[in-house]
Amino acid sequence: MSEVMPDFQLARPTTLDEAVVALATPEARIIAGGTDLNVQLRMGLAAPATLVDLSLISALKTLESSTSGTRIGAGVTLADLASDERVAAYYPAITEAAALVAGPTHREVATLGGNLCLDTRCLYYNQSHWWRKSNDYCLKYQGDICHVAPKGNRCRAAYSGDLAPALMVHDARLEIIGPDGIRQVMLADFYREDGADYIDLKPGEMVTAAVLPPPKGPSGYRKIRVRGAVDFPLAGVAVEAEETKDGKRFTIALTGTNSCPIMVDMPDVLTDDPNAFFANLNKAVQKAVSPQRTTTIAPHYRRLSIAAMAARLARELV
Amino acid sequence: MNKTIGKPVPLIDGVEKVTGKALYTADLDGREALVGRILRSPVSHGKIRRIDTTKAGALPGVMAVVTGDDCDMTYGVIPIAMNEYPMAREKVRYRGEPIAAVAALDAETAEQALALIEVVIDELPAVYTSAEARAADASQLHEKKPGNLERDVHHSFGDIAQGFAAADLVREEVFDCAEINHAQMEPHAALAEYDPERERLTLHSVTQVPFYVHLTLARCLGMDSSRVRVVKPFVGGGFGARTETLNFEIIAALLARKVGGKVMMQLTREESFLTHRGRPQTQVKLKLGLTKAGKITGVECEVTMAGGAYAGYGLVTILYAGALLHGIYDVPNVKYDGYRVYTNTPPCGAMRGHGTVDVRHAFECLLDRMAGELGLDPFALRRANLLAAPMFTANDLMINSYGLDECLDKVEAASGWAERRGKLPAGSGLGMACSHYVSGAAKPVHWTGEPHAVVSMKLDFDGSVTVLTGASDIGQGSTTIVALAAAEVLSIDLNRVRVVTNDSVITPKDNGSYSSRVTFMVGNAAIEAAKELRAKLVAAAAKKLEVSPEEIECEGESFFIRGAEQSVLPFHDVAIAALAEEGTITVKGTFTTPKEAQGGRHRGGAVGSTMGFSYAAQVVEVSIDEDTGQISVEKVWAALDCGFAINPLAVEGQIEGSVWMGLGQGLSEETVYQDGLPVHAGLMDYRFPTIAESPPIDVQIVESIDPLGPFGAKEAGEGALSGFPPALVNAVADALGLEVNFLPVTPDRVLAALMKYRRALAKKQSKKEAGK
Repeated sequence: MSEVMPDFQLARPTTLDEAVVALATPEARIIAGGTDLNVQLRMGLAAPATLVDLSLISALKTLESSTSGTRIGAGVTLADLASDERVAAYYPAITEAAALVAGPTHREVATLGGNLCLDTRCLYYNQSHWWRKSNDYCLKYQGDICHVAPKGNRCRAAYSGDLAPALMVHDARLEIIGPDGIRQVMLADFYREDGADYIDLKPGEMVTAAVLPPPKGPSGYRKIRVRGAVDFPLAGVAVEAEETKDGKRFTIALTGTNSCPIMVDMPDVLTDDPNAFFANLNKAVQKAVSPQRTTTIAPHYRRLSIAAMAARLARELV
Repeated sequence: MNKTIGKPVPLIDGVEKVTGKALYTADLDGREALVGRILRSPVSHGKIRRIDTTKAGALPGVMAVVTGDDCDMTYGVIPIAMNEYPMAREKVRYRGEPIAAVAALDAETAEQALALIEVVIDELPAVYTSAEARAADASQLHEKKPGNLERDVHHSFGDIAQGFAAADLVREEVFDCAEINHAQMEPHAALAEYDPERERLTLHSVTQVPFYVHLTLARCLGMDSSRVRVVKPFVGGGFGARTETLNFEIIAALLARKVGGKVMMQLTREESFLTHRGRPQTQVKLKLGLTKAGKITGVECEVTMAGGAYAGYGLVTILYAGALLHGIYDVPNVKYDGYRVYTNTPPCGAMRGHGTVDVRHAFECLLDRMAGELGLDPFALRRANLLAAPMFTANDLMINSYGLDECLDKVEAASGWAERRGKLPAGSGLGMACSHYVSGAAKPVHWTGEPHAVVSMKLDFDGSVTVLTGASDIGQGSTTIVALAAAEVLSIDLNRVRVVTNDSVITPKDNGSYSSRVTFMVGNAAIEAAKELRAKLVAAAAKKLEVSPEEIECEGESFFIRGAEQSVLPFHDVAIAALAEEGTITVKGTFTTPKEAQGGRHRGGAVGSTMGFSYAAQVVEVSIDEDTGQISVEKVWAALDCGFAINPLAVEGQIEGSVWMGLGQGLSEETVYQDGLPVHAGLMDYRFPTIAESPPIDVQIVESIDPLGPFGAKEAGEGALSGFPPALVNAVADALGLEVNFLPVTPDRVLAALMKYRRALAKKQSKKEAGK
């Protein structure tokens, strides 16, 4: 029960190439702000042989914006992201999401890349070694069954990053570097509905940036949580409203409700009967999400509150 | 005219704290200390079949391993209810209970050693709630405690049947309040050092009660108490978590003795939660009778507490819950039945507002609802039931001062209650409630016949005044109170006074910081000591000025003849003159509670007895998001009658702290166990409010001047807590019409209750329309 840091080698690359080499060593893990990983190390949730510290790589810390879009380095801190005026002007959902992550001191060091790759969370997983051992561990780490859904065959831990849905509604792509070079993937395709294997990163790969096309319309992000600071989202929703020739169309993405962030399909445009439209939107969100008993707050509540919040946010964007 | 007291003063030990210079237990010199670690039970309930420490003991770097075999003495804060071993023997009764411990050269080795201890436990069925524990076929935690009933209390005062017969309105409701924890900022820690040459033990710990720790160490280690020394360094919050000896303190001492050296035991946040001692899950069934005018005619209350696996303070908690039905309103007819139940969870204990909070919650909520039914304003209802001091309550509690009426006036005016209530926008509301708390228990836990408090004072050649006290400052400001009392009585600068605290070889014994006793008892003892010192100084000044002592005045660090201010002697000169008579001067002041304050003759009548009650009223304004059930507390107006504010700044801080802690219990704090495993055991999942939830708090101080209080003061640190949760729930009712009987009012619970309420309302509506 000691919260002792395990032994590890610390690699401190100054270039992306060096980082890729360092990451190729067995059982290497990336550390950027450390707000997620440090806690896990002390809880015995990870014991990497090598930690690859990205803080010296300046190439990861740039934020560039032009008429053709915006590129945000994976090492940009959430505090910087939340206070960037260009991001606020073009992608307000991202600004709002960044400002709502954890507390101010976390945001000073936490990074975009870290938040996008944030480990999935569960009340059976984010516990001390003594706790998990007393409970026979779990499917996500060192165990065989998922205590949330014992009859299922996958981990139900909830994806809890705030930024992913905000970037997803703006059609973000991720830039990933690895032993085979650089590749790009749509952020929405980067995640999988499996709490133990939730992101598409191969061994030795790392996220270097998020790339955003110019915005199609205004956006916002709302978060359900018990406390107004510190808490991870019980559920979070980003909405973008686009003016098309047929009318207003909404893009919706959610976090905290599933093992990955999800997009909700809203094929219809805003009709002449907004009350009915937004009631439908509410229902569509309720139907799309699948919150589980991964927190002490009932799944049903998370479903209802985030759907209501999604409809309210969409209304605000009209 | 007061010279020093009554003016806002920053706490005299505050500088060290805010500059980071203060040394807390974990900061103490651990250079030669081994690392102590505890092995904890993985199961909720079971018989220990085997513990084998051979492999752990053989691991290089492991210096000692201890188990339940190393201590066969029980401990517990209540002499008649000691049923806990520092490490489990024969049985384990909750997940996280200590089984064994190691001392090793470093933390990693200690951790490895724990993993090498082989434990075989035959699991027994476990009970986690009062209902499970009291079921007919329930697994029994303790021998001789059938039905897992630790203590039942049955008190009746006045004539309850006649009381309800006289009522125009009788209502009964059941309230459920979740278990909560103190979540003090500083995790638990202890530094133990054993000197094998002299066979002496020194323990530094985070305790609020060094005296009880001292007694318990002597008992559990089988040592003569003269060979034990207990020191309390700076403490980062107590709130009751540390008002009894805790297992890690004894375990650290056992390890230190076994290695013949020094052991540092630092608990993780999770372990601090496992040590628990918080407020138990409590069910309150309350029946009230009121006349049309709002006069309370009868109170019938049944309280059931899920107390955890061991006795601890349990019987006191269940007695307080009944006793403090009295003392705030005029309630002549009261029937109380209390049940304290054992469960397979970490033991509960004392927590700020000990015993009263959940009962007060039920009482104030039900009063409000009945006020609504009777068409009375909530303020008017309270005013119909005020007490008139001096008096004794139906259960013989002494009341000499009573400022609740003034508290009501103040918060009613400040909140704009009359103009604003019922006129706020949809989803917003105002609620109010009252509360009270004791200023120290008139009978201590360990009844020895000694005075309740002793303070020593030393005056020496340098002209400095040193106050020696065993009173434990845990952040509440008791050290400052003692210094202020000395400075006031001696008419000297505050900086001339130094206060030395909490080292059993230096400072006089003190029972500790609990039940808000320190300002009242230690404050009075400090005044008495200072008066004795002043008498010696006055005598010396009189001799020097060749007048009688009666003619001497002292003011502003000087002594002079009354009416002849030209012959002024500076303090230091008088001190030197006084020292010429007898050398270094040491004086002592004591405080003993008057017999009539010590409660009724009924069994358990000592609990709740005190020299004076603080009184508080508060108004809470909320706005509620009806889509998410999220409650925002917009503002709080709180007024507290603390008798007299010796240090108004500290009183203000204590009121804010009480309100804030009530806010936590009201809004979001609760422990949650998954088959006995704490899901809440970190500051991420134990959701005390952040600054984002913290409302502006308008604080007002009421001074009723208690005749027995030091300078008229009473307690200030607990009284305002228990009014917050009911004021919050009453505000929710005002905003939405929704009456809830649970705590905390988390958004998920509120939304579920709101949906149920609306469905019922719609059903009623459609029935009504169908009837037309």
